[in-house]
Amino acid sequence: METLRQLLVGREISELSRVAHLLDEPEQLAAAVGDVLPSAAARAAHAQLGEALAPAVERAVQRSIQKSPRTLTDILYPVFLPAIRKSIGEKIDQTFQSLNESLRHIFTWRGLKWRLEAWRTGTSFSEVVLKHSLVYRVEHVFLINRNSGLLIAHVTAENATSEDPQLISSMLSAIQDFVKDSFNEKEQSGLDTIRFGELRLWSEVGPFATLVAVIRGNPPEELHEIIRDVLLRIHDESSQALEQFDGDSSQLAAVETQLQTCVELKQEDSNQGFPWLVVAAVLLVLVPAGAWFFLSWQSGQRWQAYLSRLGTQPGIIVAEQKMRDGQFFIAGLRDPLAADPQSLLSGTQVDPARVHSDWQFYQSLEPEFVLKRLTASLAPPDSVRLSIVEDRIVAEGEAPDTWIDRARAAAQQLSAGGPAFDISKVRDVSPEARAAERWQAYVSRLQTQPGIIVAEQKMRDGQFYITGLRDPLAADPQTLLSGTQVDPARVHSDWQFYQSLEPEFVLKRLTASLTPPDSVRLSIVKDRIVAEGEAPDTWINRAQAAAQQLSAGGPAFDISKVRDVSPEARAAERWQAYVSQLGTQPGIIVAQQKMRDGQFYITGLRDPLAADPQALLSGTQVDPARVHSDWQFYQSLEPEFVLKRLTASLTPPKSVRLSIVEDRIVAEGEAPDTWIDRARAAARQLSAGGPEFDISRVRDVSPEARAAEHWQHYVSRLEAQPGIIVAQQTVRSGHFYISGLRDPLAADPQALLSGTQVDPARVHAQWQFYQSLDPKFVVKRLTASLTPPKSVQLSIIQDRIVVVGEAPAAWINRARAAAQQLSEDGVTLDVSQLRELSLAELNHLREAIQATAIFFYSGRVVPGPEQTPVLDRLADQLKEFAQNARKSGVTARFMLTGHSDAVGRETANVSISAARAETVRALLNKRGVAPELLQVRGAGTFEPAVPENSRTGSSTNRRVSVTVNLD
Amino acid sequence: MQKKICMLGGFAVGKTSLVRRFVQSIFSEAYLTTVGVKIDKKSVALPDKTVDLILWDLAGEDDIGSFRVSYVRGAAGLVLVVDGTRAATLAVALTLRERAEAEFGAMPFVLLFNKSDLADQWAISDSEINELRQLGWQIYLTSALSGEYVDDAFRQLASMVTK
Repeated sequence: METLRQLLVGREISELSRVAHLLDEPEQLAAAVGDVLPSAAARAAHAQLGEALAPAVERAVQRSIQKSPRTLTDILYPVFLPAIRKSIGEKIDQTFQSLNESLRHIFTWRGLKWRLEAWRTGTSFSEVVLKHSLVYRVEHVFLINRNSGLLIAHVTAENATSEDPQLISSMLSAIQDFVKDSFNEKEQSGLDTIRFGELRLWSEVGPFATLVAVIRGNPPEELHEIIRDVLLRIHDESSQALEQFDGDSSQLAAVETQLQTCVELKQEDSNQGFPWLVVAAVLLVLVPAGAWFFLSWQSGQRWQAYLSRLGTQPGIIVAEQKMRDGQFFIAGLRDPLAADPQSLLSGTQVDPARVHSDWQFYQSLEPEFVLKRLTASLAPPDSVRLSIVEDRIVAEGEAPDTWIDRARAAAQQLSAGGPAFDISKVRDVSPEARAAERWQAYVSRLQTQPGIIVAEQKMRDGQFYITGLRDPLAADPQTLLSGTQVDPARVHSDWQFYQSLEPEFVLKRLTASLTPPDSVRLSIVKDRIVAEGEAPDTWINRAQAAAQQLSAGGPAFDISKVRDVSPEARAAERWQAYVSQLGTQPGIIVAQQKMRDGQFYITGLRDPLAADPQALLSGTQVDPARVHSDWQFYQSLEPEFVLKRLTASLTPPKSVRLSIVEDRIVAEGEAPDTWIDRARAAARQLSAGGPEFDISRVRDVSPEARAAEHWQHYVSRLEAQPGIIVAQQTVRSGHFYISGLRDPLAADPQALLSGTQVDPARVHAQWQFYQSLDPKFVVKRLTASLTPPKSVQLSIIQDRIVVVGEAPAAWINRARAAAQQLSEDGVTLDVSQLRELSLAELNHLREAIQATAIFFYSGRVVPGPEQTPVLDRLADQLKEFAQNARKSGVTARFMLTGHSDAVGRETANVSISAARAETVRALLNKRGVAPELLQVRGAGTFEPAVPENSRTGSSTNRRVSVTVNLD
Repeated sequence: MQKKICMLGGFAVGKTSLVRRFVQSIFSEAYLTTVGVKIDKKSVALPDKTVDLILWDLAGEDDIGSFRVSYVRGAAGLVLVVDGTRAATLAVALTLRERAEAEFGAMPFVLLFNKSDLADQWAISDSEINELRQLGWQIYLTSALSGEYVDDAFRQLASMVTK
């Protein structure tokens, strides 16, 4: 049985025991389960596994934190840090915003209202402010799949519009990506605010979806939290649907209700105005109070200013002052002569009505007041001046004794306590004393007067009496009274006239009677009257008579010092006569003249054509030896001198007469225009200040003469022309006749007329052609007839014509022939320096060209295609040859000769040969060979290349050959 | 049902003009040069449903290095556009697809050879196109001028991405 069992289930039994062993041994079991655990967990239903594991994991985490918080912190650190940072940032923003709002509303009316509300409801003031002041509306909310940017859900506020939300959500995530990529931003949260004017886009990023709110206005920072809460809720509720979103949002319809809560958030604008009411109330209180304070302060200031002004016033003593209830009280003493305190108020802006003053009068003993009082009581005369000197009052000047007495009394009174009054400097001037003084002064003045002798004088009862002698020439005693303060009415005088013999009176009388010339001076020297100087003998005689008269008792009159000057005077008279004679001479101007020591000096201007001043001396009795003259020549503008000069300078022809007519110079007659031009120039010069020069009566006789001159000029020009020989020329009745020889190459005589001013219509010319042997003309002719190549140059060297350069032999031969001909005419043409042009290169090419032939098929005029390379080569050779030939000064021409074979009729053969040549010409032309270089002929059968028999024909003869010709 | 589709292709292959007549668009083409992407929508009616293709038209770049591959994230399919007159743009389109798939895994696509109206400048041989077709690729010769096959291509892609 056992054996049977072993046989039947032995293997299972051992297997079972192995499994049982496995289950019993914990280590083995753990190893087995460990093998399958990862794949078992992977296959388990998500929800169940999560639920099963959650408590264990929670406990594990709890233990881990208890054991070492550090480990878990390190793990979560990258996750926490950005979240914490963002949260703190928002909190700070929130604080700032509420602070701003609070500050803004502290002083407004509404602010007060809100404070009340905060106090009443027990909430913080900033909360109340935010609640009222933020004006915003959430217009749209988008829920966007984070992976694909596809729209999951979208809700809109009432009346808000937008474009296709699907496109917008994609674009928003594109912009998120763009910013993240562009600025290398690693942060997972993405763009959380976009602001455009009034619009803000706030986005909150969740694990699978992003929520974007479009907000118009000014949202509070708290709104972030609200939005975040909504997003969290959506993720909680529909996490799986969000994760698996593949563009089909039918699973997520519930989300919209959540979004709707966001859209409902709004804060309507309330009427926000300026706090007028509060401001008005405050103003109502503040303005009057401020004004009152200011005004009372200001009036106090003014009162103080007035008081200090009073204090500085002399004669005013302030005893007491005070201010009470806006009224001012003042008491004190004042001198009647001091300034009026009331009048001092004006200008201080203190209201006089509010000033209550109480002034007692007193007499101030300050010197200035005393002085005033003295001046008032003493009334000092004008001659007395009162002043204050070191606190003393001093009187100075003159006063009658009466006043001095009163002053002295006043001084005595003052001595009782006032300042000293000093009158010691006042002189007593009683009227009598004064009048006597003045009279005495007058008398003593009279006594010092020459020519006045006071005999007697006295004063009696205020009247003055005086007698004496006075010379008529002396001062008038009466006039001397003025200024003496002596009253003329009280003066009684009695004056006798007499002739004073005092020298000065005698001098006066002599001066009056003798009238001495300027050259005599009279003076008093030690009581004698002395005459000095020069005088003519007549005056000296009269002076001697006077001296005799005076000798009877008067002072001596000494005339011994007067020199008799009559001879000089006479000579001077003559000189003056001579000078005035010079003055009347035309063409002489006396500038200066003088006499000194018997010599005569004269300077001035004289025209060379005027009379000679020296010659005029004769007959004047002036001694020429004593005359020193200095004459400058000048051109006189007097008409007669001008006439003389014009005659000398213009040399008028005999046919012209010059004359003076009423200060004008007039020319009459006939003259050529050249003379008239010169005369006109002279007239112009004279117009600057000289007499008029009238040439209007001179007739111009030049045209004929000028025409003749021009003709002569033309003829001499012709004669100078090479290749023109003038044989004969005459002028007859205004017409010109000329005959001669001219070379055809010489200048055209007719053309030479232009510019000569000769009238071509009046020229009659007869020219025979001839060949000039002038080398220049010979060269021209040779150039025309020989047409030398470019490589040859003709030049004239010392009348010989020399040809230099390279030329083809043919041309050299022609040049030699020409040289021979010319030598017979005596002209040398030197061709010895010509060198023959080397054509070896060209010859080689020419042979190559001439060896070429173009072949044709029987009866054809167009060569076969196999001839194309031959034509190409030939064209190149022809062009090269033509070019090289041109360089050497020769023209190459190519003859294309067409040929035919001997088959057929001859006429046909001739025309076919010509046609072949034409064809080749056209083909060469097409290849760039100039057509004018190509000549064509048809030779028919006449120039066969090989002999042939007419029946078979020969392909060798059906050709076009080329010959080269050089011109 | 919406699907994100990215349009990829080299510079000036005609992506933008290809779709201009067939799509709903609110953004200006300036977005292409500023943000580098322009988003259009094409609704395709399939027998059983309507699919909104949200087309991300990525700025064409011949410089593959500046391709913003992040824009392809979450895309359900690709439209590869080649300029049929410039053979090099085929290589550009294929490279862009490789970049996109390397980043986000294989996804369905259609390959459009554009500018089929310019027959005389055509630079892609038929044999080349046939070889690509034999790989099972959906290939269309399109013309922005005539609009030929553009709708067909979008319809094909829509059915591919909703399968």
